[in-house]
Amino acid sequence: MRSTVPWLRPLVALVVGGVFFIPLYIALINVFKESRQVASGAMSLPIPPTFDNLIRVLTSPDSLFWSSLRTSVLVTSLSIVILTLLSAMLGHYLARQNTWWSRVIMVLLLCGLMIPPQVILIPITQVLKALGLMSTLQGLVLFNVGYYVPFGVFVFSGFMKGVPRELEEAAAIDGATRWQTFWKIVFPLLRPATASVLIFLGVWIWNDFLNPLIIYGPREGTTIMTGIYKSLGQYAADFGGMFALMFLATLPILVFYLLLQKQFVKGLTGGATKG
Amino acid sequence: MAAGTTIHHHKSGHAQARARRRRSGGKRAGLWHFLSFAAPGTLIYFCLVVLPITLSFGYSLTDQALLRPKTHFVGLRNYELLLRDDTFLQSLRVTTILTLIVVIVPNVLGVAIAVLLDRRGWLYNALRSVFFTPMVISSVVISVIWTRILADDGPINQALRALGVSEPPGWLSDPDIALYSLSSIVCWQMLGFCVVVYLAGLQGVPQELAEAAAIDGAGPVRRFWSVTWPLLAPALTINTVVLLISAFKIFDHVKVITNGGPGTGTTASVALVILNEGFVENRTGYASAEAVVMLIVIALLCVITLRVLQRREVQL
Amino acid sequence: MSEKGGTVNKLFAAGAMTLAVALALSACSSGTPSGGQSSAPASGGKQKVSFLVFPSPNLPESYWKAQVDLVTKANPDLEVELVAAPSESERNDYAKQLAASGQLPDVQIGMQDLIALEPSLATWTPGELKDFLCPTCGAVNGKVLQLPTNTQTIPNVYYSKKLFQKAGIAEPPKTYADLLADAEKLKATGITPFVSGGVFVTSQPWTAILATDLYAKTPDWMTKRRNGEVKFATDPAMKAATQKFTDLAAKGYLDKRQIGQDYPKTQEAFLGGKGAMYPMGSWFAAAADASDMKDDIGVFAWPGDDGSLHMPTFTGGGLSVSATAKNMAAAKKFALAFQLTKANLDASVKADALFPAIKGYTPPPDTGPVFKAVYDLWQKAQNEKATVPAFSWEAGDTAMLPGMQGKFWSTAQDLVSGKKTVDQALAFLDTEWEKSG
Repeated sequence: MRSTVPWLRPLVALVVGGVFFIPLYIALINVFKESRQVASGAMSLPIPPTFDNLIRVLTSPDSLFWSSLRTSVLVTSLSIVILTLLSAMLGHYLARQNTWWSRVIMVLLLCGLMIPPQVILIPITQVLKALGLMSTLQGLVLFNVGYYVPFGVFVFSGFMKGVPRELEEAAAIDGATRWQTFWKIVFPLLRPATASVLIFLGVWIWNDFLNPLIIYGPREGTTIMTGIYKSLGQYAADFGGMFALMFLATLPILVFYLLLQKQFVKGLTGGATKG
Repeated sequence: MAAGTTIHHHKSGHAQARARRRRSGGKRAGLWHFLSFAAPGTLIYFCLVVLPITLSFGYSLTDQALLRPKTHFVGLRNYELLLRDDTFLQSLRVTTILTLIVVIVPNVLGVAIAVLLDRRGWLYNALRSVFFTPMVISSVVISVIWTRILADDGPINQALRALGVSEPPGWLSDPDIALYSLSSIVCWQMLGFCVVVYLAGLQGVPQELAEAAAIDGAGPVRRFWSVTWPLLAPALTINTVVLLISAFKIFDHVKVITNGGPGTGTTASVALVILNEGFVENRTGYASAEAVVMLIVIALLCVITLRVLQRREVQL
Repeated sequence: MSEKGGTVNKLFAAGAMTLAVALALSACSSGTPSGGQSSAPASGGKQKVSFLVFPSPNLPESYWKAQVDLVTKANPDLEVELVAAPSESERNDYAKQLAASGQLPDVQIGMQDLIALEPSLATWTPGELKDFLCPTCGAVNGKVLQLPTNTQTIPNVYYSKKLFQKAGIAEPPKTYADLLADAEKLKATGITPFVSGGVFVTSQPWTAILATDLYAKTPDWMTKRRNGEVKFATDPAMKAATQKFTDLAAKGYLDKRQIGQDYPKTQEAFLGGKGAMYPMGSWFAAAADASDMKDDIGVFAWPGDDGSLHMPTFTGGGLSVSATAKNMAAAKKFALAFQLTKANLDASVKADALFPAIKGYTPPPDTGPVFKAVYDLWQKAQNEKATVPAFSWEAGDTAMLPGMQGKFWSTAQDLVSGKKTVDQALAFLDTEWEKSG
């Protein structure tokens, strides 16, 4: 196929990609249309483009965008950095130990991945209340860490398979402590796994809207996606404004993904795809 | 996710691990190792997930109602009621249909698109990013976009009317179609994940194997089935398990797009029903029982799927 | 891997920096009080009150700010912090989630599920309720938890005079038979007789028929249902009324393709001339008066078989105060001031077409024609003692059990779409009722 019709593959790929992209195209052009135009011809190009929607969102008097952006950046960065450190260590520990209780921990972690957090939200709030962390930023970060630690552990422990054990043993013979060995020798080798953990957890935590709604509480402000969710009612008649807000809220995480994307595929599939 | 592969690893490293534990100085060092490496993550996980699940299990044996101070122990009555509760059984049916679609469609299309994009060059890199982009976008944003697109007077129906279809379907307003529209939206969002994982798998397929098969006179289709597909088995496992879990616990999309309608429960997923039961109808004890059943069902599904697919990996 | 290592190392450096900054910031923020209840007296001796509101297209955030400012101007010792619920339709669930996690704001507006919220709400005393027309409306176990501030009539039938004319209909129908005949004429002219829509909109004609055919004869039907004296499936009047509603759909007077559209879309559909009649609550008058179509819209009460007037009404929907408000006196003071300030009531009339149920209140003279028509219809029903409860909209002790309202609404959709027969639908409601009880 490749030799006979060289232009066929790029053409097919382009058409398939184009069809797939249509919904995003519609969302994107609506950012640059007036609300009137949005309601009528949804597919037409925004000519002339208007920046009113973006400006309106960026300069709205309640500064919803800016304040929630700050909260989201803070929550997401804190959560993923802590998650990466904790789950790398735990993943390493579980991958290198083979006791019955380390296997129990592994199974329990697997269970946690399967239950949607909304379903156990009330007991979660009770625990956070007992810790005095309800409706605080620290409480939300702690929840993120607890809920997403299984994912990090699975990626790291899966990837650990491709890391030769001999390296650690050699370091131990040289007198390095476990702590030093892990951070100086093992962790740098886990970069692709780290990248995929950062990307996936970054995306999930950034995009979460229902848990922050309750855990972060009604008064301390909102994360950016909760802000969007809470504005749906108000923006029901203002498509342009809504799409602009969604565009601006998505932009940071999209850029973050594009920066890290080369690394993460390898980390995600870890040793698994090597058979 | 990659748990299965880890388990293999445990077995191979068993003897070595024992040897090393002995070397590094007995029980106290082992305890210190656990405290420094495993305890922080485990502790937070236990407090924020295991403890709440355990509390839920406890509530499921009571008639607890939201905000009501008095609660009574009712044994397994909630579970008995569950088995006869049409709303819950209907939500299991809805979730099963959605899960089947979401496990199958992105997997099939994902392989096809991954094979299509498995070339070097800026075009293919760019397209790979295009396919992955919906994964990066919040489900609330995705849901709002698609609600607009599938509205009765939205772009799709406008296009259909322009093509001469006088009564285009109500994608989200027709109770017979809405569930399939909803599933398609989830498929669209998850497709990129499958593509990326299959692409990674394809890059692990040695070029020589395919070339050898080509020299033997195998056509592209034969080559795919006999050489490429078996080597994609681990990617299939990852995709299937991830899709299974994501689809079975689906909540956000349903909440924003249809909220379970149109009509009674035509698109209500298990997670949505549990939340409604708990918060709208104030029966948190009963909702907890539903959550426990959900957890058991999905855990069983995952274990079976993993077993089947990993056995297949070994055989291939 | 090594050549990519550079970027990742930089990334880690960046990550470490963010961590440091974030930790510093969170240390700062934890210095401020961040607990659930925040009614501690603020600086300058002001009493702080938090207030849960719901922004909607009719009532944007600016509306709530302006409303609150009117109160704080008159009561400078109060300082009010607005808390927004995600949407109009979700405000109840949100309030319950907040209550369950100990974060319920001091004052809330428009709570519907008072039975569930009962343990979290403070009771109003008769003295505090002296200015209200119906001081015990919406009481739960005899306790008044919510100021019964507004009356709404649910539904009225709004109609397009132009479309009626086009179908050769000279005046609004007087009896149910007239209504059916007019619907037939409209259908024959190619006009959809009734605009329908998702959520609760589909159920509006059902609520109307239940008013004329069920509540007119048995005003305490819901109490009887709660006591188990009647059931949905076995009550002949309920069955006949439901059959009437289902027939409207079967005859094609309701478009079953519209049952999935959201509320704003539905409103748009009627205002865009996509149907001749729109059975909807009195609040629609605000949107109608704000539209270009206001002079073309007429209003009539859903007619019964004999043509007598039975107006479904609901009184309640006002402010309630959290039982755990730190500063109960300030919270109650704010709530009462909010509900009794004339300028505030006028604004609610204009923005949401509410009928304040306050003694001695008259609406401002500059309201629109549709509001006037709807208000007059209600006054007429009041004077003739022809008001009945609005089915599925009742409050407190006379309301459906928690969660049943949504089931009733979605069942209406099932009936219109043909997913359920009348018997199946009513049996379903009974089953769900038993579950809730």
